[in-house]
Amino acid sequence: MFEHIFNNIQNSGIGSFLGKQNHLLGAIAELLHIAGLILLLASLLVTGLRLMGWGLVSLSVADLAKSTSRFIWLGLALLVISGLILFVPAANIYYPNKIFWFKFQVLLLALVAHFTLYQYVTRSKQVHLWVARIAALIILGLWFSVAFAGRFVGFF
Amino acid sequence: MSLAEVITLINDSKLGTALRESIYMYPIVEGIHLVGLAFSVGLILFVDLRLIGIFLRQLPVNQVLKPLRPWLLAGFTVTFLSGLLLFIADAEKVTKIWLFPVKLALIVLAGLNAAWFEYRWGKRLQTEVASAALPAAVRLAGLASLLLWSTVVAAGRMIPYLAYK
Repeated sequence: MFEHIFNNIQNSGIGSFLGKQNHLLGAIAELLHIAGLILLLASLLVTGLRLMGWGLVSLSVADLAKSTSRFIWLGLALLVISGLILFVPAANIYYPNKIFWFKFQVLLLALVAHFTLYQYVTRSKQVHLWVARIAALIILGLWFSVAFAGRFVGFF
Repeated sequence: MSLAEVITLINDSKLGTALRESIYMYPIVEGIHLVGLAFSVGLILFVDLRLIGIFLRQLPVNQVLKPLRPWLLAGFTVTFLSGLLLFIADAEKVTKIWLFPVKLALIVLAGLNAAWFEYRWGKRLQTEVASAALPAAVRLAGLASLLLWSTVVAAGRMIPYLAYK
């Protein structure tokens, strides 16, 4: 089923349009992808360190999470847009790539953790330090794994 | 011994050859180099944004820079060491790309900018109050750091692009 969907994506109007563009578009998408990645990971890192009781401790977790939120969303938006520009015209290349599938399974987990665990520990008034620490480790572990797997995709 | 000979020696060393030919080690080092960036360039980005006045204006600069410093220095150590391994593995190929020396020069400039900032403003910013507007030179140093590190990352990402084309 997925093989069919991936093939349709690549051969869609937008897929063939993107496929015909200059290589420069791909290079620009790669640059936006890494810019988005650094913004996202660093924002989560600043908040994650704070959850663990390190880093910017002169602010409350809630206030810091509020300040990093826009950078998280900006980073995610850059990642999604540039990721689609890279993926759509080459969907068939990614289909058999095991690391590609692994990356998106972990990404799904990271998003679930972000909308549940992350929201809980950054918004609750009273969270036990060790709960916050374990939550931060899970959240950072998942997102950094997505990035790590992403770097691996191109090698296999 | 000429520079070209040194590069060949590094490239053909046991470590260089082993890294280049391994299936997993090379991508793992690439992965570490990337993740290290989130700590190094990523955290310095937030310091720069504070200096420019875009992030956490309610905190004095020192309360952003000081607690993040050990983390971002650790990040730079990881990024530098993994980068060194990547260089050893691909010394001959990477030195043929014009962008590589440009990237190194930009790293030196970014480092000089940071050293100048610490020397000139490090002590003074310890007494700065949150609400006071930062001197233009401080904001400029933040902007320079932001632009230089962004260009370093962009150049780094383009290096394999130029190598395999």
